[in-house]
Amino acid sequence: MRNIKLNIRWKIMIGYFLIICCLAVSIIVVNNRISSLQTEIETITTRDIEVQNLITTIRYNAISMETSQRGFVITGNESYLDPYIKGKSEWLANYNTLYQYISDDPSVKRDLEEIKVNIETWIDTAGEPSIALRKANKTQEIIEFFNADKGKQDIDKLRVQFESMRQKEIQSTKNHIIQLENKNDILIISLYVMLIIVSVIAFMIISFVSGSITKTIKQVVKTISDIASSEGDLTTRIHVKTNDEIKELAEATNNLLDNINGQNWIQKKVAEVATMNQGINDIDTLAEAFLSKLAPTLNATYGLFYISRGTGDKQRLDKIFSYAGYGENEAISSFRIGEGLIGQAARENRTFLLNSTPENPIQITSGMGNFPPHSILIVPIEFEKKVVAVIEFASVEPFNSQHLKLLEQIQGHFGVAINNVAGRMEVERLLSESQVLTEELQTQTEELQTQSEELQMQQEEMRMTTEHLEEQNLFAEQKTKELEKAKEELETYSEQLRKSSQYKTNFLANMSHELRTPLNSILILSQLLAENENKTLNVEEEGYANVIHTSGNDLLTLIDDILDLSKIEAGKVLLTIDEVNVSEIPEHMQLNFNKIAENKGLAFHVNIAEDVPIVLYTDGQRLQQILKNLLSNAFKFTETGSVALNIKHADPNSVKKYVPAQLNTEVLAISVTDTGIGIPKNKQQLIFEAFQQVDGETNRLYGGTGLGLSICNEFARLLGGSIIVDSEPNKGSTFTLFIPNLPNAEKEQLIASQYEVAAAVPSEDMKQEEMTHSAATRKSSEFEISLFKGKKVLLVEDDSRNVYSLVKALEHKQFDVTVASNGKECLEIVEQQSDFDLVLMDIMMPIMDGYETMRALRLDSSEMKNTPIIALTAKAMKSDREKCLEAGASDYISKPLNMDQLFSLMRVWLTKQVGN
Amino acid sequence: MTNSFEEDVFEFGPDLNPNNEIERIEINLLVEGIFSAYGFDFRNYLRSSLRRRIYHRMNLESLPTITSLLDRILHDPLMLERLLNDFSIKVTEMFRDPSFFHSIRKEVIPLLRDYPEIRIWHAGCASGEEAYSMAILLLEEGLLSKSKIYATDMNENIIHIAKQGKFSLKRMQSFTKNYLQSGGIKEFSSYYTTDEEFALFHPFIKENIMFAQHNLATDRSFNEFHVILCRNVLIYFDSELQNRVHNLFFESLAPHGFLALGNMESLITDHKPDYADFNAPERLFRKIKD
Repeated sequence: MRNIKLNIRWKIMIGYFLIICCLAVSIIVVNNRISSLQTEIETITTRDIEVQNLITTIRYNAISMETSQRGFVITGNESYLDPYIKGKSEWLANYNTLYQYISDDPSVKRDLEEIKVNIETWIDTAGEPSIALRKANKTQEIIEFFNADKGKQDIDKLRVQFESMRQKEIQSTKNHIIQLENKNDILIISLYVMLIIVSVIAFMIISFVSGSITKTIKQVVKTISDIASSEGDLTTRIHVKTNDEIKELAEATNNLLDNINGQNWIQKKVAEVATMNQGINDIDTLAEAFLSKLAPTLNATYGLFYISRGTGDKQRLDKIFSYAGYGENEAISSFRIGEGLIGQAARENRTFLLNSTPENPIQITSGMGNFPPHSILIVPIEFEKKVVAVIEFASVEPFNSQHLKLLEQIQGHFGVAINNVAGRMEVERLLSESQVLTEELQTQTEELQTQSEELQMQQEEMRMTTEHLEEQNLFAEQKTKELEKAKEELETYSEQLRKSSQYKTNFLANMSHELRTPLNSILILSQLLAENENKTLNVEEEGYANVIHTSGNDLLTLIDDILDLSKIEAGKVLLTIDEVNVSEIPEHMQLNFNKIAENKGLAFHVNIAEDVPIVLYTDGQRLQQILKNLLSNAFKFTETGSVALNIKHADPNSVKKYVPAQLNTEVLAISVTDTGIGIPKNKQQLIFEAFQQVDGETNRLYGGTGLGLSICNEFARLLGGSIIVDSEPNKGSTFTLFIPNLPNAEKEQLIASQYEVAAAVPSEDMKQEEMTHSAATRKSSEFEISLFKGKKVLLVEDDSRNVYSLVKALEHKQFDVTVASNGKECLEIVEQQSDFDLVLMDIMMPIMDGYETMRALRLDSSEMKNTPIIALTAKAMKSDREKCLEAGASDYISKPLNMDQLFSLMRVWLTKQVGN
Repeated sequence: MTNSFEEDVFEFGPDLNPNNEIERIEINLLVEGIFSAYGFDFRNYLRSSLRRRIYHRMNLESLPTITSLLDRILHDPLMLERLLNDFSIKVTEMFRDPSFFHSIRKEVIPLLRDYPEIRIWHAGCASGEEAYSMAILLLEEGLLSKSKIYATDMNENIIHIAKQGKFSLKRMQSFTKNYLQSGGIKEFSSYYTTDEEFALFHPFIKENIMFAQHNLATDRSFNEFHVILCRNVLIYFDSELQNRVHNLFFESLAPHGFLALGNMESLITDHKPDYADFNAPERLFRKIKD
């Protein structure tokens, strides 16, 4: 069965054949039955009819014999005798025939035998004798005979017998018919049974055949649908056990699947290669990925990747990756186009497949050593008809057609991939280049910014060194430090203390002035008296008047000293920087002091170095004042010896040490040297302080107020210089004045206070202001005041208590405060005057609130659109602050105001910014 | 792309042939000399930038050649100091690029909020403006007490300045503007007092800032950080040094830590795949690999 090819056709044919056979058998069986039935019917009908006929014939024979006998007897006519003779000859034959028919029925047979007997009896007793009698014309005897009627009894008996026999036969026929009907019924039943049997057999055959067909078909269908539903997994194959057309179909399908699988494999590999460039951004990686992927696919044991570089004559194929390569010289690293098979493949864009090359130098290296490859495959990769790369594979097995087909397909796709990656590399390269440029730009921007800051710093420095030459001496710096300290201390002092100090100074200044007025009259009048032109006074009185005049002069000097000092302290010193003829100084001093020298018997030397400039820019009056003071001190404290005035260039070391601020300026050193009592080291610093002398004793011995040196010192500082003392008790003292040449200082009247000098003036504007304002400044927070002083602040605030306290505080810092009690008023004020330096803006105000006001101030048309506005917000929520900023506030501060914070803030917003 | 383009367009220094081989040798000698003599390593700094700074210094000192500058530097440490100051570009501001600090405040801080300790490194902090800004930001977010801000720069002088926490009044207005734009929620003026020249930031702001000298070119990592800010520093380095620094940052970043670069910089490094863009326009990157 297994080896026989039992195909579906045969199966169906056998099935049908079997069914037809069954049908035939049943038809034959039925037919047999029907024909037997038929014969039976026929037998029944012919026999019964024959029997009936024979019975009737025999009866007829018997009757016709009797009739004929009677006719003959009566007539004697011989013709009547014919039926008798005929009947007599016939009936026995009929009887025999009938007998044959009914021989199977003994009762009928007996009846028939009786009939035979009767007939024979009749013939013997009645027929023949009567006939014979007639023939013999024995009429009497005939009559007698008939009177005896011997025959009649037999005939009657015969008649009955025949009747009973006929009845019997009819009954028998009836029985036969019933029998036949029964048989007929059986036949019908057997016919149905047959039908059922045939049907069952047919069904069984059909189901077997169809089952055997559909089962395999279903199997195939299931496998196919499994394959279909397995999403591309085409590895399943259809297995058919039967050996029929389905198997053929399955085999065909399997072949198709194999084919598709092969195609798929190629497609998949091609797709993998085509999409390989995704995420790969350089050719080397791509080559590596490509070979690593393809070599196992092709069962290659060795692979090389050459990329085409350069164009025209310089075009070369460079090896960028080798798969399973080993050692340094495992493959040639570069080919020109047309060079070797690699170059040739590139030139012709042609694939080379070499099998079994015994001479091939390439060795495949495995752990066990080198062995030659069986096949070598060289494939060019093209993009837009241009070879972009060549790959070479070597394998110990031959490459099959699928491998070649795969490579053929890959050629183009991989070319696209290479091109993509190359494009991406180019983009990447350009991107990174642009990034490098961007960063370079940023570097340069920052450098520029640094340079501009440096430049600004340099400018600042230049300005400092040029414009504030006279201010930047060591003293000023020291003073600045002291002042800063003092500022901090004094800031802690109460308002009153500062005021009282101010009152004291003012009082002193005023007092000195008030004293001078009456003293002037005294001096003038006493001089008039002493001159005594009218000779109204005697000599003694004239002496008094002289004493009054001299004392008055002394008093005036004293008052002047006090006045100077108080002016210095009050910052009300007027400096007039102008040309001073240095060569005139000695003459002038000699004029003043020669007489005193003569009186005291002292030598007075004046030396002036030759390289000293003729013209010195400084305040000549102050200079003279200093020199006179120093000289008069020298003469005062010198009893014997000499006093010398030396004018020369200050040596740089001294400048650096004593007036570092003037390092770049020409500085003169003017020293006054005496041979007087000298000053002990520990007192040397003391003498520059006001009202101090070396000690009480000195005071008594030499008199004087002790103000002179401190005034000199202050003046020297104002002029950008300083005074130092070098002294030894009982040997003498040297006071040296370092005074800078200030050619660039304002030629006009320079009003300076020592504090302003000390202050670092941050901007041009402020410096201007410092120069035009002469109001007294306090020692405390002098910077703050110099920054704040005169700055115009517009305070927009509705709460009168806040206004009062704020204005107080601001005015205390010397701000110039303008108050607006609501936004509308603010805008009205701004219309009149818009040169405010800063606006303090309350937010919650009647009529027009702060937001609206700020927006109005920030309009393009507004003159104050760039003025800093500080919003004063009450316990501000974050949203309020944002609203402030949106409305145009530069910054905000919340109420209640912390005054230190406010002033810090104002400093920030009043400081001129760099870069703006 | 050759140097000529950049030189032609951007150069503002002395007009010298950029391909001048001698000049290249001189610059190499100079940086090698500085490295050999003093240990400061500028060998991997961008030549174009160094060149401009060198010429700047030469101009100021009226020196004819780079070699003469080298001569001065080798024999006069003061000159070296000056050149070092020239080399270290100190352009910085408080809350520089307000939108960046806004993004730190709104996007980065919420992710760090639950950390037991937050460590932030300002690499190349210059005078410390950004470190102070970060401290103020953390203070306002209530995180300063559990934060440690490490501010480092290779220039020891500038670290000294940064420690003082005082900034010129002349720059405070723009700092204030930046603060406000970056989403500051308090009053900027509440963080400082002023003297005549400077705004002095309150000491409590710098309590959690550690200032230290650290050279990105030579020194190693010193901790693990949740945020590293290195803004407009790498632009002065060549790609080799940039890579080295990026290695350093990568090693120093905690898992999921943030790296912030300057707004003109980009993450061109081998570590690029290790970071995800967190906020690309602000150059905020997040470490995604270990």
